[in-house]
Amino acid sequence: MAQQSDHYQTAVKSIMADAFNLPKEQLADDIAFGDIPQWDSLGHMDLLMALEQHFAFELDADLIAELTSIDAICRYLKEDQNA
Amino acid sequence: MPDTTLILHPDPGIPEFLIGQVQAKLAYLDESVEKAIISPDGTSLTLFLDSELPDSRRQEIKAKANHVLDAMVSGALKPRIKVLEDHLDRTVPYRKDPMPWLLEHGEVYEESPGMFSIGPLLTRLIAYFEGQLVDLAKTFDARPYRFPALISAKFLEQIDYFHSFPHSLTFASHLRQDLDLIERFSNEAHCSDEGLEVPPNSFAKVRALLSTAVCFHLYEALNHSKLKEPLCATAVGRCFRYEASNLSSLTRLWDFTMYEIIFVGPKDFVLENRETAGQRASKLYESWGLAYKVESANDPFFVGEFKKQAAFQSAFQLKYEVQAQLPYRENRLAIGSYNYHQDFFGRRMHISMPDESFANTGCIAFGLERLAFAFLAQYGFDQTVWPQAVREGVSCGI
Repeated sequence: MAQQSDHYQTAVKSIMADAFNLPKEQLADDIAFGDIPQWDSLGHMDLLMALEQHFAFELDADLIAELTSIDAICRYLKEDQNA
Repeated sequence: MPDTTLILHPDPGIPEFLIGQVQAKLAYLDESVEKAIISPDGTSLTLFLDSELPDSRRQEIKAKANHVLDAMVSGALKPRIKVLEDHLDRTVPYRKDPMPWLLEHGEVYEESPGMFSIGPLLTRLIAYFEGQLVDLAKTFDARPYRFPALISAKFLEQIDYFHSFPHSLTFASHLRQDLDLIERFSNEAHCSDEGLEVPPNSFAKVRALLSTAVCFHLYEALNHSKLKEPLCATAVGRCFRYEASNLSSLTRLWDFTMYEIIFVGPKDFVLENRETAGQRASKLYESWGLAYKVESANDPFFVGEFKKQAAFQSAFQLKYEVQAQLPYRENRLAIGSYNYHQDFFGRRMHISMPDESFANTGCIAFGLERLAFAFLAQYGFDQTVWPQAVREGVSCGI
């Protein structure tokens, strides 16, 4: 289970690094919306749209409001992808 | 017969929730487009051109229209609409457009599109509504401010305004400090049908624009400050939003008056006060007898950012609009809004709280000309049928 979480965290960090145009190393393990200037409203939407495309889920208003940290994103992906 | 229309069939069609937003943006499409109409089902878009254009220009305009459709429609998320209040069923006695009466009786004078002088009746109504809102601000011990009509270009850059709302900007400039140039200007400047004609390079670089919102000035004034405690402020000011061919009567002005109550502090402080202000304001609407609704909305972001920003605002319920019924055209007019900006301005302007966190901000804002117009659209000009509070309040004024 821990391995699976690590898998999501690695993948999400990689997508996040692309979306925010930052090296992965600069993204803390517990990074959340607003922690860095790149993760603002537009950055949030860029990130979620990239995740939506990569993991093939459907973005909606609830998810936009819910997925505001790397923990929340990984938790959601784990539940959604395993459902 | 000259062909001065251009018809597009968007595929996919424009969903109903986006028709108004897309139509508003089409006003900025091209100077040769006089009007754009989207069919109610969103499957057809007709552009009305000012003349018969060569095919290359028609293709160019078509490409611009497709760009707008692609940017705003493809993949757009349906907003989550939350209704806070619905009093649209309140009975009101008037059903006519107030503009003809106002024009005929010298109560409004259109200086140019979007610029109106207003006469005694509207002035008294606006003064009354403003006084009521001042009383509302007092219940929050709001500190009064006065702000300039000009706002610095630097500030607008800091808050990304040029990316989000470039279409609505109004620039302020002056002649360059050069005697020869000023004398040349004084000899040659004249107005043509298209506007002011001036010698080339007359104007200095733009360092200021006309302000688009009142609360921005407070955030600029607080830049790089640490607040000892949360702040509630209030101010009224002129705001300027260029709306191209969307400018229409008193419902969509280029130059209008905005009254705001502004909250700066921790998240809970801002959200709780925004909610309380909305609840207290609803008692005012009731005493004014307004038929209205309060529901979530989004700002009119420009094409490129619209989809993402609108979805973000909707998801976090950052904006609610107070929409008054306009019985004569059976739709609604936004007369106010309740806004929460999270810590966007706090971060951008480095406004912090004692615990080093960035300040959150929010405001409730009212367009006073729209408020007065909506009232007249619902109650007309026979003051004996006006709600008592308004009748007495207006008669007590100047």
